[in-house]
Amino acid sequence: MQVQSMHFKRNASAKLNDAVLQRNMQKAKGKFVDGRAKAVSEVENWEAIRTHAAALRDQCLANLDAYLLEFEANATRHGAVVHWAETAAEACDIIVKIAKENGVAKATKSKSMVSEEVNLNERLEAAGIQPIETDLGEYILQLAGEPPSHIVAPAVHKSKEQVADLFVAAHGKPRLTDIPAMTREARDALRDHFLTADMGISGANFIIAETGTTLTVTNEGNADMVTTVPRIHCVITGVEKVIPTLEDFATLIRLLPRSAVGQTIANYLTLTTGTKMPGDQDGPEQMHIVLVDAGRTKFVGTDMQDMLRCIRCGACMNHCPVYQNVGGHAYGWVYPGPMGSILTPTYVGIENAGDLPNAATFCGECQVVCPVKIPLPDLMRKLRERQHDMRLRPWSERIPMAMWAFAAKRAGLYAFLSKWGARVGSWLGGRDRLIHSLPGIDGWTQGRDMPAPEGRTFRELYVQRRDKQ
Amino acid sequence: MSARENILARIRRQQGRSGPTTAEEMALVRANIREHGVGPKPLAAQAEDSLELFKRECQRLLTTFAEVDEATVPHEVARYCAEANIAKSLAGWREYSHLHWPAAGIDYAARAANKDDTVGFTGCFCAIAETGTLLLLSSPDQPKLNALLPETHICVVPKARIVPTMEDAFALVRTEVGEPPRSMFFVSGPSRTADIEQTIVIGAHGPYRVHVILI
Amino acid sequence: MKVGLFVTCLVDLARPSIGFATLKLLQDAGCEVIYPDTQTCCGQPGYNSGAREVSRELALKVLKEFRDCDYVVAPSGSCTGQIKVHYPNDLFRGAPEQRDFEALAAKTFELSDFLINVLNVQTVPGKFEGAVTYHDSCSGLRELSVKMQPRYLLQMAGAEIAEMADCEKCCGFGGTFSIKLGEISTRMAENKCANIRSSGASTIVGGDLGCLLNIEGRLRREGDMTTQVKHFAEIAAGDLSSLDGSERNANTNEHG
Repeated sequence: MQVQSMHFKRNASAKLNDAVLQRNMQKAKGKFVDGRAKAVSEVENWEAIRTHAAALRDQCLANLDAYLLEFEANATRHGAVVHWAETAAEACDIIVKIAKENGVAKATKSKSMVSEEVNLNERLEAAGIQPIETDLGEYILQLAGEPPSHIVAPAVHKSKEQVADLFVAAHGKPRLTDIPAMTREARDALRDHFLTADMGISGANFIIAETGTTLTVTNEGNADMVTTVPRIHCVITGVEKVIPTLEDFATLIRLLPRSAVGQTIANYLTLTTGTKMPGDQDGPEQMHIVLVDAGRTKFVGTDMQDMLRCIRCGACMNHCPVYQNVGGHAYGWVYPGPMGSILTPTYVGIENAGDLPNAATFCGECQVVCPVKIPLPDLMRKLRERQHDMRLRPWSERIPMAMWAFAAKRAGLYAFLSKWGARVGSWLGGRDRLIHSLPGIDGWTQGRDMPAPEGRTFRELYVQRRDKQ
Repeated sequence: MSARENILARIRRQQGRSGPTTAEEMALVRANIREHGVGPKPLAAQAEDSLELFKRECQRLLTTFAEVDEATVPHEVARYCAEANIAKSLAGWREYSHLHWPAAGIDYAARAANKDDTVGFTGCFCAIAETGTLLLLSSPDQPKLNALLPETHICVVPKARIVPTMEDAFALVRTEVGEPPRSMFFVSGPSRTADIEQTIVIGAHGPYRVHVILI
Repeated sequence: MKVGLFVTCLVDLARPSIGFATLKLLQDAGCEVIYPDTQTCCGQPGYNSGAREVSRELALKVLKEFRDCDYVVAPSGSCTGQIKVHYPNDLFRGAPEQRDFEALAAKTFELSDFLINVLNVQTVPGKFEGAVTYHDSCSGLRELSVKMQPRYLLQMAGAEIAEMADCEKCCGFGGTFSIKLGEISTRMAENKCANIRSSGASTIVGGDLGCLLNIEGRLRREGDMTTQVKHFAEIAAGDLSSLDGSERNANTNEHG
């Protein structure tokens, strides 16, 4: 997916004025937020589980190289081939090569954000291999030729009417708008693909060092089909996904579906270890695991390493007031919301992701709901510090900031400026005590009035009063 | 240098470590793995009777269940199929092929399910009370597809195999199986999706119905 | 008990009456209030814009100005959060001054939190009839657990609380966010205003002037000139004429 994050402000503006999107987002918001709140309230020791999860992720990240090596050894022992990719292009090259060597014509895919990140579908198509997205949401978007707008609910921005139109065009059947019937139609359309694909491509929610296991968490059952039916199973995942043991997975899976959609558990958890065993009636003959860096190691050992704890639940975006209003596409790349505002600038370069670290009021909701306690606002602030130090913000922000900083450190100057600021502001407020427009703060006054200052500063009035006494 | 070496070296460099991963570091990681420490579990999962909790969680997931003796499993299957108005023809695991299926009017084929099968019949390795979950391990006679391809999945769960939590299930895998098989498949209710307008629809790519027979 | 009033830069500049209401509440509760008149800003605008150095300098300035106080009280959750949370946990974490900032944090309180949980006040001088709706500002709520404290003060003044939907949702202010990403900020304020209207209350109360300016600015732009927008201190303090004449000047406007 091409990075469009430098146009966040412009894209967000368009999304704010997109009535259909606004309606769809409004509908989804309540379900995610209320669903999570209810599910979390049922677990009395939620905080203890969160704390344990954050600690185990930290422990793994502190020894990431050793855990990856242990994972590799155990996966290999079970017959999988482990590949390493430093870049997005390398990851695609590896998978295309495996597909070509094995005469793959069609690959079914279960949901994988890493594959979105590296543009895998585009590369497969260019190599003459047909990728079929099988997660219903991803399938809809493949038909629409759009990227996902949410990491868990990729088509959350689409209405059923929009989906119905896509299905008519793709399936050539009478138009349905009954959601269960539409789902049935998609199931029927994808059935044959499941059974005839040569390769199944899945992501991995986690990979387990202890056993060399990769695993998927789904509700639809598509990932289970993708990892079981075709003769080749290819996993594409990030190097940060490694966890030590099966027990650690048990901890994390208590958090993931509850945080994501308010379910106590996802319908299907598939832990796959190596290739099919002698005599097995199902399972792939080859298993390939592609471990992708593509920017992840930039976080390692830095003051932003906490970000790698992320388990991709989407709770941060579900609760983010900015995301709720602009949707995922405005963020201009694969990962939206607060987590995207940290991942995108780091993966693609802070100079290419201009407004993202600033696309937050620091309301803190994301941090409160994050199941692995990532201090998302703090990490966004660190990116703002980097932007500040690299002078990446526009002059229109830097000059007022420099002037404010100069004055705020000097009490006398500050008192003088604020005294006159209060007077001028009060005068500008005129009869109705409202400033309707003011150059320099037009971002504010375009949509709001600025209530005028009272006319004297507290300092003036206080000092005057004190001197009188 | 290969991508592998570059990635590992970058991780170490950023963590202020030089050279390749040491034997001591590997030993430390392996020791931690061997310990496989258990995190906090929800209090409810420990307090309650496992069977009751399992049944309640099944209901939440829309998994139906019945309690019978092993010998009457075929009759329960026949009853369920009649009620659900589905053909009495099963693709099932070999371990249950000895039951008296013909007496209940059921055609039982001990094989992996294919796309034409409407009912898949399986046992399970164990079940988890905390979340109403079935754990199926793959083996030559325990194909996973029977729980996945047909529209109806019927699963036999011996009550003695219901454990409180997922950690307990993994402990059983360790003591009874050792190395994990190709697939450890945790099934919690019929498949579902909410990808169109966040409306929950039962029956996505997997089964529409999951029926548990507790013996 | 010597209580340092950290009046906040916004109150100082735009609504000094909130500062005097705070002063009155503290004095009524028996505090000896001191106001270090060299104070400017806690540094948050710089801090949240990535200007770490200047925010550290301003933190040191605050530390020095309030060194002799037993407590520091501010009529703002976000400025209090900056002093109480971000100074010690981030800006001076691991620095030689960390202990000093931890001590400052321990004695710094948001106004309602201080009145309720430290001074344990049972009455307030203000009187209010009718219903208000309360907007929970983000920093106070999530960094300082300020939730019921201002509501208790409002109830002591006689106000009924008519809770609005999503009262804990951000109003869209976010400091410089409100200018840098004004369009999104405006939409968030618009959502807040819709919830305020649905609450049925004719007064919206909050504990952070930034949010209040944002909410008032949007209400007025939407043509609502009647809904009152107040800081809880103004309602809890009531009539400020008991303070001497110069404070009343704060409310009169020579141009209006």
